[in-house]
Amino acid sequence: MTQQSSGFFNWINARLPIVNTYERHLSKHPVPKKVNFWYMFGALASVVLIIQIVSGIWLMFGYENTEEGAFASIEYIMRDIEYGWVIRYMHTTGASMFFAVVYLHMFRGLLYGSYHKPRELVWVFGMTIYLVMMAEGFLGYVLPYGQMSYWGAQVIISLFGAIPYIGESLEIWVRGDYYISGATISRFFALHVVALPLILIALVFMHLVALHEVGAGNPEGVDIEKYLDEDGVPLDSVPFFPYKVLNALVAIGIFGIVFSIIMFFFPEGGGYMLELANFEEANPLSTPEHIAPVWYYSPYYAMLRAVPDKLGGLVVMGAAIAILFVVPWLDRSKAASIRYKGILSKIAMTVFIVSWLMLAWLGTVPVTALRTNLSIIGTIIYFAFFLLMPIYTSIEKTKPVPDRL
Amino acid sequence: MKQFLIVSFLFVASYGAFAAGGAPCGDYGECDSFKPKLNNIESLQLGALTFINHCYGCHSLKYSRWGRIAKDLDIPEDIFTNNLVFGTNVKLGDRMTGSMKPAISETWFGIAPPDLTLVTRLHGSDWVYTYLRTFYEDSSKPYGVNNMVYPGAAMPNVLASMQGQQILSCKDVPIIASNGGVRRDEMGNDITEEKCGYLKTIQGSGTLSVQEFDEVIYNLVNFMTYVGEPSRSDRERMGWYAILFFIVFTALSYLLFREYQKDYH
Repeated sequence: MTQQSSGFFNWINARLPIVNTYERHLSKHPVPKKVNFWYMFGALASVVLIIQIVSGIWLMFGYENTEEGAFASIEYIMRDIEYGWVIRYMHTTGASMFFAVVYLHMFRGLLYGSYHKPRELVWVFGMTIYLVMMAEGFLGYVLPYGQMSYWGAQVIISLFGAIPYIGESLEIWVRGDYYISGATISRFFALHVVALPLILIALVFMHLVALHEVGAGNPEGVDIEKYLDEDGVPLDSVPFFPYKVLNALVAIGIFGIVFSIIMFFFPEGGGYMLELANFEEANPLSTPEHIAPVWYYSPYYAMLRAVPDKLGGLVVMGAAIAILFVVPWLDRSKAASIRYKGILSKIAMTVFIVSWLMLAWLGTVPVTALRTNLSIIGTIIYFAFFLLMPIYTSIEKTKPVPDRL
Repeated sequence: MKQFLIVSFLFVASYGAFAAGGAPCGDYGECDSFKPKLNNIESLQLGALTFINHCYGCHSLKYSRWGRIAKDLDIPEDIFTNNLVFGTNVKLGDRMTGSMKPAISETWFGIAPPDLTLVTRLHGSDWVYTYLRTFYEDSSKPYGVNNMVYPGAAMPNVLASMQGQQILSCKDVPIIASNGGVRRDEMGNDITEEKCGYLKTIQGSGTLSVQEFDEVIYNLVNFMTYVGEPSRSDRERMGWYAILFFIVFTALSYLLFREYQKDYH
């Protein structure tokens, strides 16, 4: 029997590189032996991606992508489908947690210079994933067709209208109608459940392929490829399986606790994850008192609102995302990690984080004159952090990076 | 459409100017706190009774089904059907779509009474609990009542017979100094001023005392909180098991991780 099954396995393996792939990407894939918790969020992001795909498929069983039926179908899922509420809350909590872990993952990248040579493409693929996620999250938020779905979509789609010449036609093209309607819902549905997830999965694949080609970084910014053993394996590395899988399991366990606390006890996230106005069906005749995005868009929404001109706001918001793509070429520092960078980088990073969090808060609250001024200051700091990076990273004195981990 | 956008943008832009001081419960200020007890079946049953007898005439619960309420609230089907389901054609699996046609009610009230399935999720249970207890007599309004939480509400005080007459009154209140303390004269007595806008129930004008009425509203809002999310008590119960599972999961994977870490440390 054993011989037979191993014969079968060999037959398969001769035609499909199972052993080869397993060894290359798991059992023999070298990863730095010393990393900290910041290096867990990539694994967690893939866990959330799986949660979103699986819960999303289950939600589709009950969801109706029509203007008349969308809102009621969500309540149908919440009430009439057995454990439908588990699936729904898993998906809504998952959306927020996806952004939470991705933001922490991106911050790790900034902190330890994960984009430094030779990992520029890993960063660029990662940023593309983030961009697609933002679109995916927006499209998904429209589908329940509550008040905030409708008016949020109204505000965001109208941004296309600010583009000169083609704006108005583009707006209608995106909406599929002269106003948000069933046509908008059905196309957003198709994009949310088929088109963007396909792109997202392809991008995640590319992100990982590129990462495995150049190897994972570490908090010291040490190049572990410098010192190899006789087999060409870095001395400061351990195989991914089982060692780093166990790291990931611990992280997944802790993440599971946090996820469960939110999902089972605070699924609305205080109105920041599920906005309360969205418990009312979309009504084109009544504007909610205060239109605010969910928390994960809020820093960029604050930037949009900081500029009085609509087109200007759109350009600033777009540039704020676009500038993240070129970070690998803005950082001129010899050291990758913040641990060995100079004082200027450390100050810049601190100011950047504080102002980003401030923008995140400003994006969720109604505007006042003072808050608009704060948003402008936050936006300027945001851009200054990146645009001045070539200067402060090249003039500051870095500490020598050690040879070994 | 353009106008809509302009209006919505202006709304967003100007909101801060007048909303900065807006309290969650309108003229009433902060809402009274409401802590639901979703495992108190008796309270939920009494709330359902009040809802169906006094609210369901105008308001639907269109996302909820009759049978689900009977089952969740432990009410035997025959008792439920005979006492709470009005209408001969209603089956327990039907949705609670209300008994008034929106077109008719719109001519009566100026606006169709909203569906209330999700009202506690939209405004919060605190808000609903406060709203239902803050109607006061106001002869300038079509139904003779106004509401502190939602001034100008197009709803009559349906439970007035229980609550009795509630009016706005004035009373002497201590003056608060800028340091937060109560101002006193040389003799040490509090300095007071007359302030108006306080709710006062005229004793004996209703069938219930203030406490009894508050309890009726408590049960009602408790029921409405349940209807807003019928799985909530299940959710909170299951949550503990999920957390417990992940604690055990974390502990076991940590032990395994520590054991394997010895290989390279």
